Formats: sequence, C-alpha cells, structure tokens
Amino acid sequence: MSMFRNFSKEILWVLGAFLAIVFVGLFVDHPWPKDFLTSLFAFGLLAMSLNLLIGFAGMVSFGHAAYFAMGGYCFGLLLQSTSFTGSLGPYSVPLAIILAVFGTGVYAAAVGAICARLNEIYFAFLTLAFQMFLYSVILSWVDLTGGDQGLMGGIPRPLFLGIDLSQALDRYVFCAGLFCLCILFLRIIDKSAFGQSLRMIRDNQERAEFLGVRTYRIKVICFTIAGMIASVGGIILALFTSGAYPEWAFWAQSGEAIFMIMLGGSTVFVGPILGAVLLRLINDVVQMYTSHNELVTGIVILLVVLGLRRGILDFVIDKIKDRREAKFLADLEAKKEDQ
Amino acid sequence: MIEFEALANCASSGACIVNQVTSGLIIGMLLFLVASGLTLIFGVLNIINFAHGSFYMMGAYVAFTAYALTGNYFIAAIFGAIGAGLLGVFFERFIISRVYGQNVLLQLLVCYAFILIMDDVVKLVWGAEYLAMGIPDEFRLAPIRLFGGFIPPLYIFLIITAVVIGFGAMLLIAKTRFGSIVRAIAENPSMVGALGIRVPLYLALLFAIGCALAGVAGALAAPVRSLTPGMGLGILVESFIVTVIGGMGSIPGAFFAALILGLTRAVGSIGFPLFVDGAMFMMMALVLIFKPTGLLGGGGVKR
Amino acid sequence: MLEINGLVKKFGGVTATNDVSMSFAEGSLSAVIGPNGAGKTTLFNQITGHLLPDQGEILLNGENLVGLKPREIVAKGLGRAFQVASIFPTFSVLDALMSSVSAHEMKSEKLFQPFDNKVVRERAEQLLAVLGLESVGHVASSKISHGDQKVLDIGLALALKPRVLLLDEPTAGMGPDERWQMVRTVQRLWEDNNLTLIFIEHDMDIVFEIAQHIHVLRYGALIASGNADEIRTNEEVIEAYLGRELEEDA
Repeated sequence: MSMFRNFSKEILWVLGAFLAIVFVGLFVDHPWPKDFLTSLFAFGLLAMSLNLLIGFAGMVSFGHAAYFAMGGYCFGLLLQSTSFTGSLGPYSVPLAIILAVFGTGVYAAAVGAICARLNEIYFAFLTLAFQMFLYSVILSWVDLTGGDQGLMGGIPRPLFLGIDLSQALDRYVFCAGLFCLCILFLRIIDKSAFGQSLRMIRDNQERAEFLGVRTYRIKVICFTIAGMIASVGGIILALFTSGAYPEWAFWAQSGEAIFMIMLGGSTVFVGPILGAVLLRLINDVVQMYTSHNELVTGIVILLVVLGLRRGILDFVIDKIKDRREAKFLADLEAKKEDQ
Repeated sequence: MIEFEALANCASSGACIVNQVTSGLIIGMLLFLVASGLTLIFGVLNIINFAHGSFYMMGAYVAFTAYALTGNYFIAAIFGAIGAGLLGVFFERFIISRVYGQNVLLQLLVCYAFILIMDDVVKLVWGAEYLAMGIPDEFRLAPIRLFGGFIPPLYIFLIITAVVIGFGAMLLIAKTRFGSIVRAIAENPSMVGALGIRVPLYLALLFAIGCALAGVAGALAAPVRSLTPGMGLGILVESFIVTVIGGMGSIPGAFFAALILGLTRAVGSIGFPLFVDGAMFMMMALVLIFKPTGLLGGGGVKR
Repeated sequence: MLEINGLVKKFGGVTATNDVSMSFAEGSLSAVIGPNGAGKTTLFNQITGHLLPDQGEILLNGENLVGLKPREIVAKGLGRAFQVASIFPTFSVLDALMSSVSAHEMKSEKLFQPFDNKVVRERAEQLLAVLGLESVGHVASSKISHGDQKVLDIGLALALKPRVLLLDEPTAGMGPDERWQMVRTVQRLWEDNNLTLIFIEHDMDIVFEIAQHIHVLRYGALIASGNADEIRTNEEVIEAYLGRELEEDA
C-alpha cells in the first residue's frame, strides 16, 4: 500500500474536492449548479485526458472526442441490451462502465499503435481521420446506433449497491465520484515517473530515447490511458443525458476540447478544467444573444490564440517563473561582483 | 458484408460499368484537385492547412452565386477559384502566417476557428438549407453513348478540366521561375530573403494558388453536388487520405491515390455500401504501416 | 573494452566510414580527430546505434552492438553527449538530471511510483555538485549559458553510470577560457568515474594536452593511431592537415 503513502497528499486533495462537490449537491436546491457541474465532469475529463497527450507528451491529437463518444455509445448500447441487463441485474451498470472503458482502451491502443510513430502534423491529421471514421460508422450503422438521431429511448439504469441513477442526486454524486477518481489517477500520473517520461518525450524525444526511455511504448500507453479516461467522460454524459449522440464524435468536439486546453493552460494541471468552465460560460452567454455562436466562438479563439498565444494559467505561471528566475540570476550576479 | 450479387450484376452490364467508372473518375479527379492544393502548401510551408475544406466550400458557393448572376458556368468556375484564392491570401496574411514556426497546437486552433467562422458566414449569406446549382445551360446536351452506357458531356468536361488544372499546378512549381523561387524558399527561406526576394509575397501567392485549387474543385463540383455549410470537412479528410496514400508533397502521387480512392468509392457504393469509408481508412492505415512516406512520397513522416 | 573491426558505412556513392578498425582500452582517454567531413560523427552515430553500419562489428567487452537500438546500447553502459547540447529545454537543471537518474533506475514506465523521491533526488544533487552546476540547479535548462548546457548534456549521460562515454566536440562553440574550463571538467569526470572516454575535438592543443591515445580519420579512413608524439610527427597526418590548410589558402 505504498502507493497510498506516496500519494497521500494528492488523495487528500481530491477527497476534499469530492466532499465539496457533494456538499454543493446536498445543500443547493436549484438544479443549475448540479447540471452545470455534471456536464463539466464530462467535458472536463475530455479536456484533462486530452491534455495528457498535448500538454504532457506533446502529442497534438485532433481526434480525441472519438474515445469520448465511444465510451458513451458502448455504455448506452450495453445497458439498452435487455439480455445484458437481464442476465447481470444489479451488476449491469458497473460492468457496463468497465466494459465500455476497456473496450475503448483496446480501440485507442490500436489507433495509438498506428499513429504514435508519426511526426506531429501527421499525428494530428491521422487522429482526426480516425475520428471521422468512427463518426461515419455511427451515422451509417443506423440499426445499431440510431444514426443521426442518436441512441434514443433512454438508457435503463438498474439499481446497484443502493444507488439509483435515475435519481438526480444519486446520479450527481456518482458522476462526481467517477470524475474525482479519474482526476486522482491523472494527478498520480502527473507526479509519477511515467509522467516525467512523457514530459521528456515532449521536450526532446531523441534525448529521451538515448537515456534509455522506450518512447514508442510509452506514447502508445499514454494514448490508451487518455482514450480510456475520455471514455469515462462520455459515460458521464450518457448518464446525464440518458442517451448518446453522433455530435459527440464530430470533429468540432475535438476542436472544442483543444481550445479548452489552450484557453485554460496546458502546462498547469488544472488548466484544462478552467478552460472547460470558461468555454461553457462563453457558450451559455453567447447563446443568450445570438444563434451564430460558431462565429463568435471562432473569433474568440482567434483573439486568444493570436493575442495571448498560450493559456491563461500558462501566462500566470510564466510571469511568476520569469520574475523568480530574474531575481535569482540578479542575486547570482551580485554575489559574483562581491567576490 | 460484401454484396457479390450486386457486383456481378453490374460487371455483366456495360452501362453499369460505364456509369460507375465515370462517377469514380469524377469523385477521384475532384479529390485530386483539392489534394494537390493541400500537398502544394504542405510541400513548401510544411503546414497542413486544416481549413482547406473551407476554401472548397467557398469556391462552390461563390460559383453558385456567379452562375445565378451571369448564367455562364465557365465564368462561375473562374469566380469560384478567384474567390477562394483571395480568401486564401487573407487567411495566410492575417491568420496562419502569425503562427508559422509555432507549435502545431496553435496552427490547429486557428484553422479550427476559421472553419467555424466560415461555416457560420456561409449560413449568414446563403442560409443553412441545401442549395443545388443544377446542370448548367452550356451542358444541356445529349449524353454520349459508350458501351451501352450514357455519359453526360459535363462529366467529361469535369474530369478533363480537373486533370489539366492539377497537372498545370505541378508544372507551375516544377518548370517556372515562380516555381523555382518557391522551391528555394522551401529549402532555405532566409537565404532567399537575403537575395532580395520578398518571401512573404511568394508565400501568400503560393497559399492563394493552393486555396484556388480547392476553390475551383468546389466550383466544378457545384452542379453535381448539393451545397451545404460544413461541406468542406468531408472532402478535407478524404483529400488528406489521398495525400497520405500518394505521398505528402507529390502531385503525381495524389493523382494515383485519388484515382484509386474514387474508383473504390464508386465500386463500393454497389458492392459494400456500409463499408466504403472503412475501406478507405483501411487503405490509408496499410500504407502508413508498410510505407509511411506514401506510394510516391519523399520523407519526413516520422518524428 | 571497446573494439571496432572493419567498419564500413556508405551513403550513396560516398564512403563515410571506410574499413575502420580501432580499439579503446579500459579506463583510457582517447581522441578522434580529422578534418571536416572525415566521418567522425558518423563513426559515433554507428557506435551508439543511430546509424546501421554496412559492414563490420562494434564490440563492447566482446559483445557485438551492431543492430541494437540506441536505448539497448545505452543499457549496456555506453553513454553519449552531443555536438549541439541535447537537453530538455523546459526542465530545470536539477529536474533534467533527476529524469535521467530515474530513467536509469528503470522507472520510466512506472505509473504509480512518484518521480520525485529521495534516492533519485540525492543522486541528482550529487551529480549537480560533481558537474559544478549547483548555482543554476533551479534555472530552466534553456536559460543557462551555452557552456553549462554542454556540461548538463554530459551530466545526463553520466547519470546512467556509463562505462564508456562518447563526447562529440565537448568544446564546440566556446570561447578560449570556457574551452579550457570544459577540458578540465572532462578530465576530472574521467578520472573520478573510471570512465573509458572518447571525444571528438578540433582544437589540437587540447587533444595533444589531454588525450592518451589519438585516432586520425580522413575521408572516412583511419590514417594514423598513436600517442601525441607519434601523431605530431606522422607524415600522413601532417599532409592531411597541412594539405587542407594549403587548399584553404589558395
């Protein structure tokens, strides 16, 4: 159990966050905060898992929403199958989650194995191409997926361990739990030796290889983990909306996730979550005033990218670091002059 | 999965073969035009223009309006190309040139933003409904009879024009002074700049040509495709598959790959309609695994 | 210790390595010299697995390295620093060293072990002291001086506890003062760590001053091997260098 000792600080932090989220659910009566937070759990996990690729390993994927959608569809399809729920009864929800996550993981591993050897431009485009492939499968396989209508008719959610996911509060707390578990896992990767290997690959892949790091293998593992965590995001959204929709697999969903990372900051752990919050708020505000929210979102992206050139938290951290380093170097100079 | 009966029926009928081959050639040659623009820009700037599909879309819509105003399909196609080219200059100068040499993330994001903006602009100007241009007056002619099948003259015009323009672009890069300067910029921009050549001007021109190729493809396709905002993305992904299979930077490679893909689509629509996209992706995956530089490509694919 | 036998590498029509054989004794300090384009870096690239030789063998303690991947060769105890310092720009100097130590401890694929632990940190701090980089330990690698970056590059290789260390022009791009400081650092590291050290160098003063053994390459072929006195008086070497200077004068 050395893992718990090693990462006790991270575990306590996430536990605290979980309790705070549950607190909001218990004591705020209005449905808006719960709904907003639940959709944030879903899109936050999409953005956070994508940042494992972009911010950590420097692998700019343009097709990450594919795994998000796949998680949601697998989960929904399993629970809609009466033979699945009939034979498993109370175990069907947890088992559907596990199967959806690992199924997505297998697919992500296959795509990752093909893409991880490519340079970054090819990588971006190829991941996009695989996403469009999944999208076209969802649209054309109408018998299974409902085509452009999505998975209709609701997703049954049999009671398990006393948790009734058709109840708003149970669902909210359960989704919060899934979210926090994934965030904890990502935070442990952030602090782990594996996470450091990802940053080595981002900074200088050739040197990492020469220090004995198995870069290809690590990139494929990273791609797989990122896909699996994104699928949990999709599962949360499927639980929340009681359905699954082809837009989740559309390229614009991946573009949005990339922008969340860029907006919040890719070098700071919680950056993507901040980005997800901001983008949700921007969308909500824009929708109040105009139906042309794509136009406005596009202009906002251009302004942020061409103006700031990095995320908000990146910007803050860079400023702090610059100041600290400038002071340090100035002290060093002063010491030299004294001697 | 594969409908052998339908395939056999078609193979035994001259008319069906002629129809499928013609439609395969049209799909393929329009793809060839779009892909050659993509590969041209990549060859010099080492940037993949993720917004390339938007220029295809603009070409189609501008041609639609120009045809409505002039009633002349040829003029409409030229306007489509010019419209997309001008938009390309604007996009290059004010947006993408600001992220040259930056990481792919920023390039990706500005393209994403541009696609969103253009899709909405099209909705504002032309509406969100499907538009159809119809067969232009110039081509309301009797179809040509061949092996029991009928080929509309418009189709022959489309195929020949696309091939001529695509290879014309290749000759422009390979044989002219403009082309040699652009190739030199690809090798060493600062050196070319030191010789007194205005590098940004040439880059903007090259970008305009690449976008005009997409635009003219959209304009040519306008009579045979329906127009809708967001129509650019499908063709973007397919033209990317073409460049991967053919080899990034190679126009002849794009030609052969587009031919293969077009015919696969045409045959697939009869033989394996649910699996057409899958077949294309499978081909791409196989090329990437066994010959990542593409069938006729150079290098630079691996990281 | 390290032995090269009949190594050949051709690029198209150019023979970059032409039937080269040389050996390096355990604990020795050797230099590989030669005019530009003599194939020195190409030779290093073959030893470390960057390039696959067309013919010949490279033996480390009798074991052939040809055909192994760079990282497999690294694992056999052969470290390398680069002509252009190959570092991790956003890492602080200490982080970079810790990363290298952690990789050496076979931790790079461990998901559930903290990167920052006592063992790793202590070794990295020791290295920092050995390299003389304590004062910039917390500065980003991209912001330290060029000379410090070259030292850090060597430090990354040293963290792997190599038995053989290859340095590709450790003093490239440095001013005269900085150069000799670097040479002294290299010499000290060699002595303290019991290394078999091989370096490429253009500055003859440095080579004659510290190298026990010198190998001279020209157009990919080995034209002379020996100690400083032997090389200094070798006719072919003089011709190789003087000939080149005469051509440059003309």
